[in-house]
Amino acid sequence: MELMTRQETWNITYKHALGETASWFYAQVRDNAKIFGRRCAASGRVLVPPRSFSDQTLQPTTEWVEVGPGGRIETFTIVYEEFQNLPPPPYAFGYVLLDGADTALGGYFKGVDLKDSAKAAERLKIGTRIVTKFAEKRTGDVLDFWYEIA
Amino acid sequence: MSNDRVGIIGIGQSAFQARRDDASYPDLVREAVVLAMNDAALEFDDIEAVVYSLSPDAMVGIGNAERLGVDAVGARNKRFLRINTGGATGISSVAAAYYHIASGACDVVLTAGADKVGECGDSQTVLNKIWDPTYERQLPLGTINMLGMSAIRYMHAYGLTEEDMALVTVKNRRQAALNPNAHLRRIVTVDDVLASRCIAWPIKLLDSCPQSSGGGAMVLASERFIKERKLEAVWITGLAHCSESYWLGDRMGKNPAADHADAFALGRSFQRAYKMAGITNPYEQVHVAELYAPFSNTEYHAIDAAGFCKPGESIGMLREGQFELGGKLPVNPSGGTLCTNAIAVTAMIRVAEIALQVWGRAGAHQAKGARVGIASGNGGDHQFFGTMVIEA
Amino acid sequence: MAYKIQPGVIGCAIRPAIAAQDRSLEEIIYDTTQQALDDAGLTIEDIDGIIVGSNDQLDGRAISVMMASGPVGGVDRDILSTPSGSEHAFILGALRVATGQFQTQLVVSWSPTEASSIGEAERLGADPYFHRALPLDELSAHALQATALEQRVPGVREVAASVLAKNRRHGALAYPDPPLHPKPGPARWPLAAGTTTSPVTGCVAMVLATADFIAERGLVDVAWIRGMGWATEPSFLGDRDLSTAPALAAAAQQAYKEAGITDPMMQLDVAEVTDATPYAELLAYEALGLCGREDWAARVGDGTFALGGRLPVNLSGGVQTFNPVFCTGLIRVAEIANQVRGHAGAHQHRNTRNGLAQAGSGFAMQYQAAIVFGREREKRA
Repeated sequence: MELMTRQETWNITYKHALGETASWFYAQVRDNAKIFGRRCAASGRVLVPPRSFSDQTLQPTTEWVEVGPGGRIETFTIVYEEFQNLPPPPYAFGYVLLDGADTALGGYFKGVDLKDSAKAAERLKIGTRIVTKFAEKRTGDVLDFWYEIA
Repeated sequence: MSNDRVGIIGIGQSAFQARRDDASYPDLVREAVVLAMNDAALEFDDIEAVVYSLSPDAMVGIGNAERLGVDAVGARNKRFLRINTGGATGISSVAAAYYHIASGACDVVLTAGADKVGECGDSQTVLNKIWDPTYERQLPLGTINMLGMSAIRYMHAYGLTEEDMALVTVKNRRQAALNPNAHLRRIVTVDDVLASRCIAWPIKLLDSCPQSSGGGAMVLASERFIKERKLEAVWITGLAHCSESYWLGDRMGKNPAADHADAFALGRSFQRAYKMAGITNPYEQVHVAELYAPFSNTEYHAIDAAGFCKPGESIGMLREGQFELGGKLPVNPSGGTLCTNAIAVTAMIRVAEIALQVWGRAGAHQAKGARVGIASGNGGDHQFFGTMVIEA
Repeated sequence: MAYKIQPGVIGCAIRPAIAAQDRSLEEIIYDTTQQALDDAGLTIEDIDGIIVGSNDQLDGRAISVMMASGPVGGVDRDILSTPSGSEHAFILGALRVATGQFQTQLVVSWSPTEASSIGEAERLGADPYFHRALPLDELSAHALQATALEQRVPGVREVAASVLAKNRRHGALAYPDPPLHPKPGPARWPLAAGTTTSPVTGCVAMVLATADFIAERGLVDVAWIRGMGWATEPSFLGDRDLSTAPALAAAAQQAYKEAGITDPMMQLDVAEVTDATPYAELLAYEALGLCGREDWAARVGDGTFALGGRLPVNLSGGVQTFNPVFCTGLIRVAEIANQVRGHAGAHQHRNTRNGLAQAGSGFAMQYQAAIVFGREREKRA
């Protein structure tokens, strides 16, 4: 019995409106190498990445607050496996609580030797202080910045 | 007790495996549906409505693939809708079927679905696209590394070790070996797990669920119908859903409402389901559990969230053997999600397996004397949680 | 009605055409949700559960409910998602209220236009086994259905043109200052250019509640659900007689039975149908028991279904006026709920006691739903 298969690829491009809040955030990243969060008036929490409303209180956020560039690691992972359309391994990324923020922002961790996973995990352990680094040429994207051990 | 409970009267599931080149996607749905209908001993004319269980379309490669499944579930000219809550889809579908009946709208409802994750090419590529393009799509997020990050926080908070994680795999594989429907059934040792290749630290290959293909189906009915037809059934006595914030970074930092180490909303969901079912002391009153845990570390916070112990205590209790078949409270006697993960129906299989358990029909992986069981499903970025209490 | 508890609609926010580009999709959903809650006089704390309806391929997100869960108040709440259709979100929400286990439900649906090609996104819905290689998007499916009807009903093209004109007139009255002017849809034989309307971004939200909750809060202006029906056609277009709509007939039968409707023309005051094309509207007249095909020409000709007629259909202007593809079904439901509540604004039909909403979606209206609303609450024994 001959069993056949068909190959199909999904190929649609999207142009997602970022809205004013995210657009302003990225403009700051691109033009000033700064990161900002938004404060939710109802709870007082500084939300990073910034949004125009808090999903906890459903209230609008009210003011911009500069955060970082220092921060502490909240969690991380080190990827050793290759996945289609994702970067070649190994790489480390995770979430950082930037100084002044109440929530953590995702980004790559660079400059850590990842060959020995146990040693790397110790280097990246929760609570480790980091500093945010910015690319020379920035386009207004999350990949314009990353974290390095302080 | 009034005459208006909702019961499960038929169950069907494939023998899951990596690829099913012999069957198209609708064929797999049909396979499970036929098994469930035979189990319930009903004709298709008895079915008044169908709830279709299907998570990301991209996994199956067909937009709104449920439309293709209409004939497979015999829904022509019948009530039909589809549910998608990511990995929780299967249990959410059973819940939706429950609401069709508990509302008084229908007496008999079929819920079914299938997945062909193994055919997808790369499920992590698809699962990267669940993150929003605004801030996180650019990061190499996937469900594996997302839950790796949860392991990091659980290690930090409760002292979890890689060996503790391996013990979960060892337990579940031993149980899957007794379950003819499970995908991964090979027994492994702690050393095997620790030596397996690292995917996203600390998650290794043998800490991870497989990409499975197969179908699942269940038939639910009103108590009135069950009594009229003199059918056998087990009963859904409690159910709930609860969600966390989509933002992973909000589950850390200063005073998070929910920590990414734990499964806060799963706990809330269980609390609501238990309240409905009148369960006040889960550790004593629940006999068996199928908790959605696609990676070994996640079984621990699922056990915590089920209210069996304080957060972190599950580690010691698992070491003591409390959660294995033969122990006080078997968790994932089927092998669980860790051994079989056909995403669109995985959470339905949790419900199906618990139904079989409290029905006394679980064969070699039967938890002896189980009459009260719980099931859970997780979806999104560890965001949506469905829970159910099933009783004999 | 068979249901344990009769649900009522207490709030709606209908945004069938959003022109502004300054809000992200999540923010649009947030705005619309807030609007519906305001309309109901509630806050998110009053909401027990949420159902959303959205399409992953249109949204460009593999599990569209994830990011969208925040703006609809999903955190620490019970939220489910029905990607099969926006009207299905309403149905499931209503069923949940009818169980008595939920006092309220919020139902939200949206349809963005961020995909490079909506037609391409729709084509992915064709099965890869036999049909993917064909240019089968929804417009093609509508065209095939129009062809089937033209072969069965002589002169239907002219009648369809009148229906189209009627809805455009209604749309101009309902939106004298429209938020945007959608482009006419392209030609796809036998559909002439402009027989459909190009997609726009839209969002809609509704709030449902139990009678107890409504009484407790002293809420007025309620649209009570008298009957709901929903059904689906088979999977392959080739298995269907596209000149008929049996799934809609089945759905209508379910809804009418629950609502006690035996003579829809007499017992209904106003209706909204999903007129993706005017042919779809004609088929809906028939399947809903309003007017068989032998009478289409006459009834359309004498204005029975126009403003001022016996049973005005699509006073909102319908899909011909604004086409937010995925949420057009829920918009029909919200429009009729608003008519019955007396909240339909510029296109309010006077003395509306009972209304009917028909929602169709998928290739050539594969999914069909019919909902009957009434101003009077059912008396229970």
